[in-house]
Order: sequence, then C-alpha cells, then structure tokens
Amino acid sequence: MTETSSSLPTLSRTRPREITPRQRLYRRLRPYLYLLPAILCFVVWIYEPLARAFMLSFQQWNLLPTTPKVWIGLENYRNIFALPKFWQALANTWYYLLGLLPLAVALPLAIAIFTQDLPARSRNLYRALIFVPMIVPPVVGAAVWRWLLDSNHGIVNLALQGLGLEPVGFLSNASIALWTITFITGWKLIGFSTLILAAANASIDEALIEAARLDGATRWEIVRDIRLPLLSPTILLLVLMVVLLGAQWSFAYIHVLTEGGPLGATTNIYYLLWQFGFGSLSVGWSSASAVILFVGFGLLAMALFALKARFSFHDD
Amino acid sequence: MTIDATLPGAMPRPARRARPARWEAGIGHGLMILTALICVFPIYWMIVTSLRPENAIFSTRLWPDTASLENYAYALRAVPIRQMLVNTFIVSFTVTVIQLVTGILAGYAFARWRFRGSALFFGAIALTWLVPLQVVMIPNYLLVSRLGMIDTLGALILPHVASAFAIMLLAQSMRSFPSEVIEAARMDGASHAHILWQVIVPNLRGTLASLAILIFISTWNEYFWPLLLSRTPENSVVQIGLQMFITSEGTQWGPLMAASTMASLPILLIYLVLQRQVIASFMKSGLR
Repeated sequence: MTETSSSLPTLSRTRPREITPRQRLYRRLRPYLYLLPAILCFVVWIYEPLARAFMLSFQQWNLLPTTPKVWIGLENYRNIFALPKFWQALANTWYYLLGLLPLAVALPLAIAIFTQDLPARSRNLYRALIFVPMIVPPVVGAAVWRWLLDSNHGIVNLALQGLGLEPVGFLSNASIALWTITFITGWKLIGFSTLILAAANASIDEALIEAARLDGATRWEIVRDIRLPLLSPTILLLVLMVVLLGAQWSFAYIHVLTEGGPLGATTNIYYLLWQFGFGSLSVGWSSASAVILFVGFGLLAMALFALKARFSFHDD
Repeated sequence: MTIDATLPGAMPRPARRARPARWEAGIGHGLMILTALICVFPIYWMIVTSLRPENAIFSTRLWPDTASLENYAYALRAVPIRQMLVNTFIVSFTVTVIQLVTGILAGYAFARWRFRGSALFFGAIALTWLVPLQVVMIPNYLLVSRLGMIDTLGALILPHVASAFAIMLLAQSMRSFPSEVIEAARMDGASHAHILWQVIVPNLRGTLASLAILIFISTWNEYFWPLLLSRTPENSVVQIGLQMFITSEGTQWGPLMAASTMASLPILLIYLVLQRQVIASFMKSGLR
C-alpha cells in the first residue's frame, strides 16, 4: 500500500548528491548480482546437465573418457522401448504410486479427521511420535526394516510363526517385495501427511460445522459435504507430492533392501536409470530413459497443477 | 439430509459442541496409538538390538536384559564411523550456511526490486524441483570428475549451494516484511546491504532457524549423491558407511544397528530438543 511513496523523488533528500553513470550501472545490475550465486548453482547443476542429458540420449557411450561418443540418433529410444525391463519398471513405478496413495494420503486423512477432537495434550504426543520416521535417515530406515523383516530372525516373521503362520519372504518373494518397499516408503510419510491434513482440517471454520450440525447433519455428512471439499486442495497437494516424488523417495529402500530384485520385481524407473548408468555403464540408455522420465513426469505435473488450480477455487 | 429423518432417535446433537461421544474418542486414541507404534517401534527395536550382547542378538525380549556397548565398539573398529560422522557434520553444516546465504540474497532481490526477467528467474528456480537428481546424475557425475573432485567432501556440497525452497520461502517472508521499517532505514541513509543484514535478517530469525533445521536434516539424510561419488570410507558420509555391514555373506545385525543408531542420533537429538520447530519447519515445506 505504501510502496508507491518509495519511488517519489521528494523522499530522496537525504541523498542529495548526483549519481555517476558507474553507480547507475551498479544499481541496474544489483538485483542480478544478488541472484547470481543461486542462478549459477541451478545452471551448473540442473539446467546445463539437463541439456547435456538430452544430448547424451542420442549417443552411445560407456562413461570411459578414453572411448569416443558415437552419435546414433534415436537408436537408444528404440532400444529402450523394445526392452521388457523398461515396461516392467514403468509398471512397477505405477504400482508404487498406487500403493503409496492409500498409505500417504487416504490413511492420514482418516487419522486426521478421526483425531481432531482428541485433547490437545495427547494429540501433541501422537504428533511427535508419528513424525519420527520422517526425520530418520532413509538408509537407517532401510537397515532397520531389513532387520525387522529378516526371514530367519526378524521379529515380524518370528511373531507370525508364533501365531502359527508360515514365515513370509517380505523382500525375497517377487510378488510381495514391491509392496514391502511401498509400505516402508509410506511408513516414512504417514506422519508428515497426517500433520499437513490435520493442520488444514483444524483451519476449517468451526461456524460452518456448527451450522451444519444445527441443521441436523450427521457426522459422516459433515465429513463428506463440508470437510472433504474444503480439504480437497490440501489432498491434491499431497497427491501431487506423492505422484511426483513418491517413486523417487523409494530409491534408498530399493538400493539397500532388494537392489531392484528379485528379478526386477522392485525396479522402478528411477532405479532403472541408476542401473543403466552406473550398473551397466550405458550412458545413452540411461540418458534416454532420463529424458522419457522427465517429459512424462513433466506432463503429469502440469496436468495435476491444472487440476489443483481448478479445485483451489473452493477456498474463496 | 433426507437420511436424517429415518435415523432412529433424533439425538440431542445440536447442543454438543465438538465433544465426540466416548466411543469415538476411544477409536481415535486406538487408531493413533496403533499408528504411533508402527512409526516408533522400528526405531526402538534398532536401539534395543544395538545394545544387546552378541549371544543375545536374536532375542525377542522387548527389553534388553543386559545392555552392552559391544556392538558400538565393533562398529567403530570395523568402519571409520567417527570420521564419517565428522564428514557428515561438515557437509551438512556447510550446506546449511551456504544455502541460507544464497537464499537470503536471492530472496531479497525478488522481494525488494522489480527488474527485467525477474518472473523468468523466479519461474526457473521454482521449476528446478521438477528435475529429479536421477535425471541429471550422469552429467553431474561427469562434471565432478572433470573438476577432479570425485571422492571429496567438496563435491557433496557444491550441487547444494542453493535451494529453490529456501529462496522461495525467504522471498515470501521478505515480501511480507513491514515496508515502514525498511523505509525508515532508507531515510536514515542505510545501504541495501545494511538493511538486509542488519534489519531484515535479524527479524527473520524464526524463519531462518526453521529453514536451517530443515536443510541440515535433509542434507544429513542425503544418500543418492554420496552413493555416486564415494570411493573411500574416509572421504564419505555416514549413510554410506551403514551399508558396509550388509555383505553378501550375511548381515552383522548388532553392529549394523549400532551404526544406524549413531547415524541417526544427531537428528534424533535435534528432534528431542526442538521437536516443535522441526515439525513446524517440515510442515512449512509442504504447505505452500
């Protein structure tokens, strides 16, 4: 409101001297100088490498400085699309997201709504406890779960055996391992999502709820017709985060727990990039899949952003 | 609404202000206790296992009967964990300080001046989080190798010199900084540098502190980039060290849990002391 006055010349009486051209130049460059360190970092470590990855995706190379890069056009892309492993990783990425959404969005949503009326004291204690997985280093989380789920001595399998059940190969069974990793990734996020949703839920105007209650709305009706619509921007934000970052977050777990196995059952697209690049040293394949990944997720992000923009109107 | 009429016994609901029925509170508590157990038990089990002597490592007692530091001693002997912890601390601390400085400078530029291309720069910064590290890992690796910095701590720091989140958060909080205070300082003839470092920064202590916590923890926990660059344990961070206890011949559970405890101890301590601030700063990262 008051910022218009700052540019008025009347205020500059404390600085009466004229400015030299040199000072004027400095003034014009000043914002860019303040931005320079950050921009330099992003250009050097993100945007230039992105362009370089694009170039490398048309070449054949094994990462050794002594061997020449060979330009092979779209060959890498053709090879990747013909590779069953790529489609398996893509499908797995999809399953990861599908499994993560209930754990990192739906369950926290239920918890947030169910616990909103608990006394502040116990709520704070719960908050503090469920947040712990979020701050624990991913590698530590992976190591701990590896121990808990060990097929011979892990406490989970010992407990199952105690109940008279067969031990489960949580990480060695190809049809279970993917869900195990998904669960561990979700385990890390539950607390975070719950807190975000609880905060959004607490900021809903109580008068609205009260009015509905006076009108005789049931608890479920209040949740369905008032809370969920008002929470939808936050829910969408979390969905956006999970979809765009979820598969990425599972990297440490995959690497420490299964290395993508058994038989590629837990390899998602991010892990495939790593295997192509640093496992089999095929720079071209890794870069081509990186480009595919970047474009794919970019389009997905745009779609989700558009959706979020549309839903956010509810706020106003 | 129509369902309501068919409900048996129109309860005297209206008078009750946000007080749930007792059984509902019971379910709420039950749900929370279960979730909290799932979240905390693995960490508890890690600490308990790490304190067990070797002959009791497979014990399923929920409480360690005889505590021993054997596993810690072994872990420290087998892998240079101490050096790795120091390295991790150096990297995390340096990254935190540098990211705050670059964030403050860039945030000030966006908040204070209107200049050509400012929207473009802001957009380019905001869009960086759409580029996963895995997409640019090979060119980045090649750059580090050209700089001759493979297996150095410097290479772990360099790509994290600036973060989009820090810049955007600081730009936002500087924009909402009361302009009267800044104008008053301008009238007194204060330079921009003076205003930034002497007026604005001291007043943004809270934001900067929570940002620092967030950056420190996420740098401490970083795994992917060190994994690409590390060659020798002495030049590596503690997250890499943990994997040395997992071998193809089998896993040394006791030492692994001891090393895991040591690797997460600094973070858990920060959390114990600054619990509220940690939660608040993580939430800020999601709520934008």
